[in-house]
Amino acid sequence: MRRKGLSAVAVTVAGALLLAACSSDGSEGNASEEPDTSGGDAPNELTFMFRGGEYDKLAYETAIAAFEEETGAEVNMIITDADQYATKLQAAIAGNQVPDVFYIESGRMQGYVYANVLADLSEYVDQATIDNVWEFGTTAYRFDKESGEMGTGALYGLPKDVGPFGFGYNTVMFEEAGIEPPSPTEPLTFDEFVDIAKQLTQDTDGDGELDQWGTGLNVTWNSQAFIWGAGADWISEDNKTVTVDTPEFAEALQWFADLGLVEGVTPSAEQAQTLDTYQRWMAGEIGFFPVAPWDIATYNDVAANNPEVFGYDVIPYPVANEGDDWSTWLGSLGIAVSENSKNKELAAQLATFLSTNLEAQKILAENKVQIPNLIDYATGEWIETDAEATGWPANSQAFLDIAMEKGRPLPGTWTYTPEWYDNFWIGIENVVDNGSQTAADFVAAKQPEMQMLLDQSWVSAEQAKAAG
Amino acid sequence: MSVTSPSAPQSTWTKADIKASRKANRKLHRKEYIWAAAFMAAPVIGWLAFLLFPLGFSVYASLTNWNGLGNMTFIGFDNYVLLVQDPYFWKALWNTVFYMIGIPIGLAMSLGLALALARKIPGRTFFRTVYYIPVISSLAAIAILWQWAYNGDFGLVNQFLSIFGIDGPNWLMDSTWSKPALIIMAIWKGLGYSTILYLAAVQSVPRSLYEAAALDGAGAWRRFRTITMPMVRPVTFFLVVTNIIAGSMIFTEINIMTPTGGPEWSTASLVWYIWNKAFRNLQMGYATSMALVLGILVLIVTVIQFRLNKRNEFSIE
Repeated sequence: MRRKGLSAVAVTVAGALLLAACSSDGSEGNASEEPDTSGGDAPNELTFMFRGGEYDKLAYETAIAAFEEETGAEVNMIITDADQYATKLQAAIAGNQVPDVFYIESGRMQGYVYANVLADLSEYVDQATIDNVWEFGTTAYRFDKESGEMGTGALYGLPKDVGPFGFGYNTVMFEEAGIEPPSPTEPLTFDEFVDIAKQLTQDTDGDGELDQWGTGLNVTWNSQAFIWGAGADWISEDNKTVTVDTPEFAEALQWFADLGLVEGVTPSAEQAQTLDTYQRWMAGEIGFFPVAPWDIATYNDVAANNPEVFGYDVIPYPVANEGDDWSTWLGSLGIAVSENSKNKELAAQLATFLSTNLEAQKILAENKVQIPNLIDYATGEWIETDAEATGWPANSQAFLDIAMEKGRPLPGTWTYTPEWYDNFWIGIENVVDNGSQTAADFVAAKQPEMQMLLDQSWVSAEQAKAAG
Repeated sequence: MSVTSPSAPQSTWTKADIKASRKANRKLHRKEYIWAAAFMAAPVIGWLAFLLFPLGFSVYASLTNWNGLGNMTFIGFDNYVLLVQDPYFWKALWNTVFYMIGIPIGLAMSLGLALALARKIPGRTFFRTVYYIPVISSLAAIAILWQWAYNGDFGLVNQFLSIFGIDGPNWLMDSTWSKPALIIMAIWKGLGYSTILYLAAVQSVPRSLYEAAALDGAGAWRRFRTITMPMVRPVTFFLVVTNIIAGSMIFTEINIMTPTGGPEWSTASLVWYIWNKAFRNLQMGYATSMALVLGILVLIVTVIQFRLNKRNEFSIE
């Protein structure tokens, strides 16, 4: 009896542990509070699951009201927290409660395609509509199931947005230091960049401590443009070989690390931890810093409240040598349709409407949530008048340049899983923060491990394809 | 509802009479049987649906190649072979085991605090409340606060250490100190809960035992070691078991304070790794195999604890 009791306790403990370990994120939640995400049953009923802030909601309410009036559809909107969206969507799919229309990340798309969750929108979206959306915004959702190649094949989503990760500078700081503003179209070279950054790094109050720095860039999100600007990359064009062990990669990474370690133009790791560089940038302590559309509203508020220390504009990312081409990463969130939707055609219409409705795009752009998806509007009325009128930075053309030709996907997003790319950042602090390892040694040690994970990712993709 | 038992069968009853009587008996008790079955069914169904089925499903999923979205492909024990060869699994497991160091430290501190709070000292209620506040506070909020406290330059912890001339490390960015940092936080967070339980146990120890021991010449340490410690052992046992189970599932604070697994992956716990594998890297089958291994390890530790506790059990006549 005692043994039985012990076994029961043991099984209970193991079961409870498994359930907890397999739970989504360890956060507290109540299943009964979860909304019903399943697609609509009636011929005109649709469910749209998305994440975002108040302006996303406002824009989509406007667009959906117009859509409902135009088509007679009834759309049920389900909005979730941004950080829980992916887990909730996966749970909805596993529970066979797939919404008709939902957001999808380009980087997670392949698994969904292999599981036949996503509908091919090619037949529902006309070419003229596709042509009027940034090319990246559609190629990011094209996938060839047979070859496993992204950017080509069937269209599994339309862009909710494209997110250009631009670069900027503090106009006030430049003016005070008497430094000529950088060109809005021609990138600085690495040497020019360091030279200016050194001039901006100062002890302004004479207490022996630095109070402002040339830059302060987080390696995980900011090093890509510099690595690419030196002609290096994480992965080969066919997405099958990890290329971090090239001399140009090591050199560019070392240069990036030396901004803080040797040149001293960034706050130290400890200083950045005390007040992160994002806050320091807005406090007018940093000269160069990333500027992306989703930051514009905040930056404008700061510039309005503290015009004596903060003002900003957008410029191209620096490149290794004069004449080199600059680039940066371009993100995107997509709108997809469930393959098993009972109203697939109507759902595809809604996805197209949300992605390309002019009024919704105007609301999103006006509220500085994103640049418009529509090329004709973005390159016409918006850049000529609306952008400036609604508070976008003077050189917003740089954002359009990134969307049009300078933007590239983050390295991990066009492979089946990003694990190989995530692995790169494990131990990176030894290169950039404390300098205990050289970039060359780091990348030489990393390449085999990353390659193994990339190979595994391709094997997993094949297995997912076979399993269906 | 009242039930009257049928009168005892008379010796003159025939077999047919006995049969008829039993039938009547069954009929009479049918309703009770149905009610009894209904009451028993609720926990049984709950156990089957929410424990046994997920457990069985997990076991099967761990033997498949499954991305959590599509169909499962049976692959036998491949996930377990992969797990044995996966250095990150072992590292995450080691990190998780390392976090357990905090359990005895926390319990010792809790017992000490409970003994102090059991005394009639001024402000006792205030201190009890203060120590319990972290328990009821949001773990996410606490994690953010401690992230600040651990700041290398201006963090509260290093400022405190500097009073004693100690130059504290950059806790969360140093692979040597990141795990101890999380342990300290976990001890602080759990201290109030353990203290409350110990306090109740300490207060329930009969005074007569201490008085008798004092009369026999036992000193304070002797009384603590031979009376208090054994008397609070059930609470210690309960806390050790539940703390090990909870400790093996550490996730939230790691995900908030060191979202990439810390410097050189020094803070990544096994559940954090499982979550990443399952939901970020679409390896639900593999993640499930790790969850099962973790479950089995905790089960083994728990069973050992039960056995040790049984062996050391005693009673006061």
